[in-house]
Amino acid sequence: MSLAPGWRRLFRLPRFSRKAIEQDVDDELAFHLAMRQEKLRRLGHSSASAQANAIARFGDHARVREECLTIDQQYVREMRFMEWVESILSDVRYALRTLRRAPAFAAVVVITLALGVGATTAMFSLVDGILLRPLPFPEPQRLVRVTQAYPEKGLDRWGLSHQNVVLYRDQVSDYASFAAYWRRAMTLSGRASAERVSGVRVTGDFFDVLGVKPVLGHVFGRDEDRPGVENVAVIGYGFWQSHFGGDAHVIGTVIHLDDIPTRVVAVMPRGFAFPRSDIQVYTPLNLDPSRRFGWFTTGIARLKAGVSVAHASSQTTGVMWNWARVNADLLSLASIRPEATKMHAVVVPLREAMTSDVARPLAVLQAAVVVLLLIAIANIATLLSSRSAARRAELAVRTALGATRARVARQLVTEAVVLAIGGGVLGIALATLTVRVFTRANAASLPRIDEVGVDWRVLGFALVVTIGSGILFGLSPVLELARSRRLADDLTGTHKQSARGAARRFNNALIVAQLALSVILLVSAGLVLKSVRQLLHTNLGFEPVGVTTVAIPLPPAKYAGARAWTTAFEQLVHRAKAVPGVRDAAAASAVPYVGGINTDGYLIEGRTPPANAGSESRQVTQTATTTGFFGTLGIPLRYGRDFNATDRLGSLPVVIVDDAFASLYWKGADALGKRMRLTGDTTWMTIVGVVGSVRDEDVAAEPRPHCYLPYAQWPNNWASLIVRSGGDQRAASAAIAGAIREFESGIPLDDIRPLTNAVSAALDNRRMTERLLGGFAALAVLLASVGIYGVMALYVANRQREFGIRLAIGAEPRSLVRLVLSEGFALAVIGVALGLVGALGATRWLRTLLYEVSPTDPVVFATLAIGLLGVAVASCYAPARRAAKADPLVALRAE
Amino acid sequence: MADAETDLLRSSLDLLILKALSWGPMHGYGISEWIEGATDSLLLLEEGTLYPALHRLERRGWISAEWGVSDNNRRAKFYKLSTAGRARFRVESSVWHTHAGAIAAALKRTSQAAT
Repeated sequence: MSLAPGWRRLFRLPRFSRKAIEQDVDDELAFHLAMRQEKLRRLGHSSASAQANAIARFGDHARVREECLTIDQQYVREMRFMEWVESILSDVRYALRTLRRAPAFAAVVVITLALGVGATTAMFSLVDGILLRPLPFPEPQRLVRVTQAYPEKGLDRWGLSHQNVVLYRDQVSDYASFAAYWRRAMTLSGRASAERVSGVRVTGDFFDVLGVKPVLGHVFGRDEDRPGVENVAVIGYGFWQSHFGGDAHVIGTVIHLDDIPTRVVAVMPRGFAFPRSDIQVYTPLNLDPSRRFGWFTTGIARLKAGVSVAHASSQTTGVMWNWARVNADLLSLASIRPEATKMHAVVVPLREAMTSDVARPLAVLQAAVVVLLLIAIANIATLLSSRSAARRAELAVRTALGATRARVARQLVTEAVVLAIGGGVLGIALATLTVRVFTRANAASLPRIDEVGVDWRVLGFALVVTIGSGILFGLSPVLELARSRRLADDLTGTHKQSARGAARRFNNALIVAQLALSVILLVSAGLVLKSVRQLLHTNLGFEPVGVTTVAIPLPPAKYAGARAWTTAFEQLVHRAKAVPGVRDAAAASAVPYVGGINTDGYLIEGRTPPANAGSESRQVTQTATTTGFFGTLGIPLRYGRDFNATDRLGSLPVVIVDDAFASLYWKGADALGKRMRLTGDTTWMTIVGVVGSVRDEDVAAEPRPHCYLPYAQWPNNWASLIVRSGGDQRAASAAIAGAIREFESGIPLDDIRPLTNAVSAALDNRRMTERLLGGFAALAVLLASVGIYGVMALYVANRQREFGIRLAIGAEPRSLVRLVLSEGFALAVIGVALGLVGALGATRWLRTLLYEVSPTDPVVFATLAIGLLGVAVASCYAPARRAAKADPLVALRAE
Repeated sequence: MADAETDLLRSSLDLLILKALSWGPMHGYGISEWIEGATDSLLLLEEGTLYPALHRLERRGWISAEWGVSDNNRRAKFYKLSTAGRARFRVESSVWHTHAGAIAAALKRTSQAAT
């Protein structure tokens, strides 16, 4: 066995105490004086004169002594430091050499650490960036989102009307400022080609609430936010760069938004975008306090300092009730006091409001990475302690040669730290890569994703944890060494059975823990996977494959009035149908998963809504469609007829309802001929058809009641064109775009896209959760199987001699394989059983992420448990084979 | 003593110590005796100043120290030129020669003209 180069120095390292240095200098100077005196005496001086003379010639003795001491002390300090650095370097060199002799061990430890650190850092960075980081506004904790709810009417997310906005702004004293916004896509015209821009209409207090100043110009205020004043717009930084090349003279430029000349008054700073990261243009809402209808806007407020959300909420609800009393007619509340209803204002901290959809999946994923990190640490503990047992003899030799336990400990710690740093560096790379890939892939579907980067604090934490664990586990062999009193035992490798038993029990416990944690992760992933599988195969009620959609805002200047709009959309549908490969086409005010959905209360002639039905049934989703809408989307017509050319303005008002609606009141075809009206309208409409239900917003939610109105009777200057084509959809969509442009060049075509994109985007969050959880679970299984392999390999190595002897006296190799496998199997069974118990508790937490899967789904539990048992036993197979091949001669020669 | 003189003295003292040790290991007293003899007692006005210089050189790694026994059987600290010190001595002495030659020549000049 070779010793480290720095090793020998240990035995002769001088002890430079301050006292020793002083002694050294004093002796040296005294020698000089003595020699000089002696010489002077030889030259004939008297003893006294020689002494005086020598001292005089020497000069300032005290100063010389002091100078020498200072220099020597510095010198000693420097030397100690160099010694220290050198010994660390030599420890590192020694560690690297030792690890090179065990490359598989080193690689497994480094990779395990890297996976643990990488996954944890990446996940925590995402969670921090999306959920925890303060919004990029001053004093963001004071910002709240304000909406309303009227559960009895099925209005859980009720927007604010203009009147509501003014009331809350002026009467709720808890708000320092209050604004409202309404997100609207706009058409930017007057340039080379018409373009859709993502915009938001906001009240005059909007920029004040958020507290952000423009980089150029002045934002608009309440004076500009009134009906009938000049149109102005504030533009975002990105829009300024892309459309004006960052021109400093952009203020005052007139742009055409929805054909309305609008003057640019301000440019917002880089990074400002609200309520979504893609908002480019902010225009005034044209707040009209007299408007009682139209609950479209979302409120946003800045609380006064020190005001609680709960207080603001109850105050707002009070104002809401006053308003409801005055507007009892509007809400058909004549006989009920608002206090007796569940009507209330919904005030939520803005950050929570922006991230509520993803908070749960992210929390689950975060818990999953913590479990993964625990598994990784347990795995490393197993590996290091297995290795330490194998190195007992080596360590004993070194102690015998005079190395202190502290010195040996440092060597072992160095080795652990070298491994930890390797794993940490690889982990950083992994985390950076993961975050980058993730932010690119989910750019659209996650809120605030653009703000996410690798969080250096998290990284620091993960590194400290891993290096800390490295030191801890690195030290465990030293502690064992401290326990073993009998050096001879260590040197010869014959340990007391009890010591070895303790080490093995520790390892076994770690293995059981790893397996148990893996089961929890696996089962969670399995349940989410099964949910996503179910969702993907959910019948949506329509067939999105092969359908292309594009939003068509008719340029208002050119198309005015119902007749013009109807003709234009008839023309567009006609032209789309003429495109080669197109099978069917229609126009509609809303498209499933694309948007435009509008819901309203309704009345049925001679009926009251069924009392036992859920609040959802008090509202109906309405869509205005041209003829052929159901055929194009593949929605089956159950009874009656589709709209046709006879359904015009002035003819009998008609309506088509879906199964979900009809089944609330009638059976089969009984709905036909009955009459209904929407609360916002006075027209009684006759039901002429019943179609299949659709899930049009949330795949996981039950279909909501729908009614379809003939576009010709409910015309608008805005609709989506829906086209079903066969063959190459990309070619078809290009041809459709061409046909539209040929008809009218003022229609922006940027968002023409397959309907399947929109549908799958609705599942993005669940898919992300599924993929990440699945990935974490796979890693967990991998780590656990490496762990069990390591432990069993050690178990076999420790009993090599016993196996050899058994074979020599005639044991069947197969029986040894069985022995080892059953040992491993016993561990696996305990681990998996504990894991299943843990999983039963843990998966209840997943309930909201699951769809048509029970948190205790027996199939998932059983399959994965058996699967993991199989993997565990398979990992024991290689060590078991080695046991069967034990050579008694080798075993004995090793002594 | 003026600073300029101290600096000059210090660097020349270092050089002389290296020169003294180039003969072989010596203790501090021996070095002072050698310098005294070699410079007619001009340079080392106060013998004590030799010791900080020695310790500084040791710290720089040009010389090394070790306790030994002197000719008259006393315990004495001996200094020895290290490999780095030997190299340093060669460089410094050649630099010194060049400078001293140049300065001496300049001081001896009688005419003011640069030609």
